[in-house]
Amino acid sequence: MMELELKNLTKTFRDMTAVDHMTYTMTNGVYGLLGVNGAGKTTLMRMLCTLLAPTEGEILWNGQDIYAMGGDYRRLLGYLPQDFGYYPDFTVHDYLMYIASIKGLRPAAARKRAQQLLGQVGLLKVKNKKMKKLSGGMKRRAGIAQAMLNDPEILILDEPTAGLDPNERIRFRNLLSELAKERLVLLSTHIVSDVEYIAGRILLMEEGKIRASGTAQELISGMAERVWCVSVRQSETSRFMKKYKVSNMKLTPNGVELRILSGQCPAEGARQERAGLEDLFLYYFGERSGEDDDGL
Amino acid sequence: MMTGYEWKKVFSRRGGKIALLLLAMTTAVVCWFSCSVSYVDETGVAKSGFLAVAKLRAQTKEWAGILDEDKIRQVIAENKRITQSAQYLSEDVTENNMAYHRTQAIQGIRDLLNSSYAEGFRSYDYYRANKLGEEDAPQFYGNRAALLGEWLRGEARDQFSEEEKTYLMERYESQETPFFYDYVEGWSRLFEYAPAIVMITMLILGYLVAGIFSCEFTWKSDAIFFSSIYGRNRATAAKLRAGFGIVTLVYFVVMLTYSAVTLLYLGADGWNCPIQIIRWKSFYQLEVWQEYLLILTGGYIGCLFMSFLGMLVSAKTKSAVIAVTVPFVLIFLPSFLMNIDNPVINRVICLLPDQLLQIGTALGYFSLYSLGGRIVGAVPILIVLYTALAVVLMPVVYLVYGRRQVG
Repeated sequence: MMELELKNLTKTFRDMTAVDHMTYTMTNGVYGLLGVNGAGKTTLMRMLCTLLAPTEGEILWNGQDIYAMGGDYRRLLGYLPQDFGYYPDFTVHDYLMYIASIKGLRPAAARKRAQQLLGQVGLLKVKNKKMKKLSGGMKRRAGIAQAMLNDPEILILDEPTAGLDPNERIRFRNLLSELAKERLVLLSTHIVSDVEYIAGRILLMEEGKIRASGTAQELISGMAERVWCVSVRQSETSRFMKKYKVSNMKLTPNGVELRILSGQCPAEGARQERAGLEDLFLYYFGERSGEDDDGL
Repeated sequence: MMTGYEWKKVFSRRGGKIALLLLAMTTAVVCWFSCSVSYVDETGVAKSGFLAVAKLRAQTKEWAGILDEDKIRQVIAENKRITQSAQYLSEDVTENNMAYHRTQAIQGIRDLLNSSYAEGFRSYDYYRANKLGEEDAPQFYGNRAALLGEWLRGEARDQFSEEEKTYLMERYESQETPFFYDYVEGWSRLFEYAPAIVMITMLILGYLVAGIFSCEFTWKSDAIFFSSIYGRNRATAAKLRAGFGIVTLVYFVVMLTYSAVTLLYLGADGWNCPIQIIRWKSFYQLEVWQEYLLILTGGYIGCLFMSFLGMLVSAKTKSAVIAVTVPFVLIFLPSFLMNIDNPVINRVICLLPDQLLQIGTALGYFSLYSLGGRIVGAVPILIVLYTALAVVLMPVVYLVYGRRQVG
């Protein structure tokens, strides 16, 4: 059984702590890392990719320090960063062949693997097109293909669906589900539905710490508040929004239908609803989401 | 394979292609300048082109051979015949040109006479040769050391230590004479324009290699690069190999093209003459072909050093823009420093890397250094020093880049 263990992991930038004494163990499966911007997700992922050295603590792969393992660890790694950069004047095929070479694949094996992945991500027809000529979705697909070139045991994807249209996102999720078998996949996003569909376990990250973790069901059932649906007059909306966490608002012919998180029934006639991950997100991060810096 | 892709990154960019095109055009222009030799025919008309070169060569070669006292006497006599001729004394320009037709055959030796019989070591009078008589011929070689001695005792007495003065006199006096003289127009023109073409090549190389270590940061592909198995070792080494390969290939293609065009057009005669035929005052005892090799080698080492320094700057700063300025600063800053009249600064200037790009000029300088009790000229120091520094820079760039954190 593969095991990626974070022990007391800390990363500080001057006087700001991006990852704060984090301890957690991951094994096979897909892990969804959820958190608001600035929660420390990207910093954590960069440390997992040996791009940043921790200030304190360690990361162990099957008991060995990943920094001491160096190339042996990176051989197991596939990474798609949030700001996916590429070589604009390379063709898609050249790009994959180059990344394959720095991932240690021999040319013959690289050609075969690149061809296979291009087919899998639906880029075969544009393999001779320059990277700069691809659409955003195609670039992301090329990104996932490069991450998969070395058939990694650890696949780290930082905001892989950011900027994609709904069709591309669905396609990407399906592709990821297909590729995720028999690997450890860590997927960071703030698009809750992505995690809902793919991730087996979810890590909720806030201010550099894991606030909660578990399956979607475990986390939802652990919420102290329930989800209620209540119809109110339009004039009452602001009172409800001040008093409760509101995960959705929908205009109806009779007023406004609010989806509310509350420990008790918020109003007469309110009906209890089944909670989803978006409610969970709101439950944990509702008041702070989107307030902090991105890229941490 | 990785190295090949590094080349591709450099040359697939539009900027890389334009830089190469610009270099090709500049090389063509410099070749054209170096080959632009004019020849005045018997009728006093200036001609150019390959036929003109062939005639100039044939006429000059009539005077080729050991430049002994007898030949000096003959040249002085021939010069006197020309300068006393009606054509020379005429007020008609065409008539004067007809006289020059005869002068151009001995022009090279005539220049040496002007230097040898000059009034002072640092003075030059174009008409000095016209004032000589055949009886002056025996002093031709002796004047060289005599003028140096006079200069060292007078004007330059505070510029050199006693050991340095002794060294210079010894170099002058031990110079083997008489010189072998030949038509050296090809080499002379090649040396004249070499600094220009080497500097232009360096500036373009500086642009080409500046992005090798910063493109990942520019294109935001650094995270993928450094998280791959070879990102911090072999792929970094591939970048170094690509930088080295680009500098080597581009430099030698340009320089060998320039040399081949110039020498094929103007002729490579005189390769075994002492360089004093071209640089009368130089204290380096070399033949023309050795100066050529020094220019070629010095330029290459200079380009390698500056390119590696540029790569180090780009690896450190993640910026190609800052790296591109490195060769500009190294080439042009010394020109500003030269205006400062300070002996210490002057000695330092002669050891700056821009000197490698103009070794021919450096061979004419009297820059001396005392190393372990031995007096050495700047040229050997430049070659050894910057070869060592270029070699040292390679692992430094490798370590700086390989240890980069991607925040």
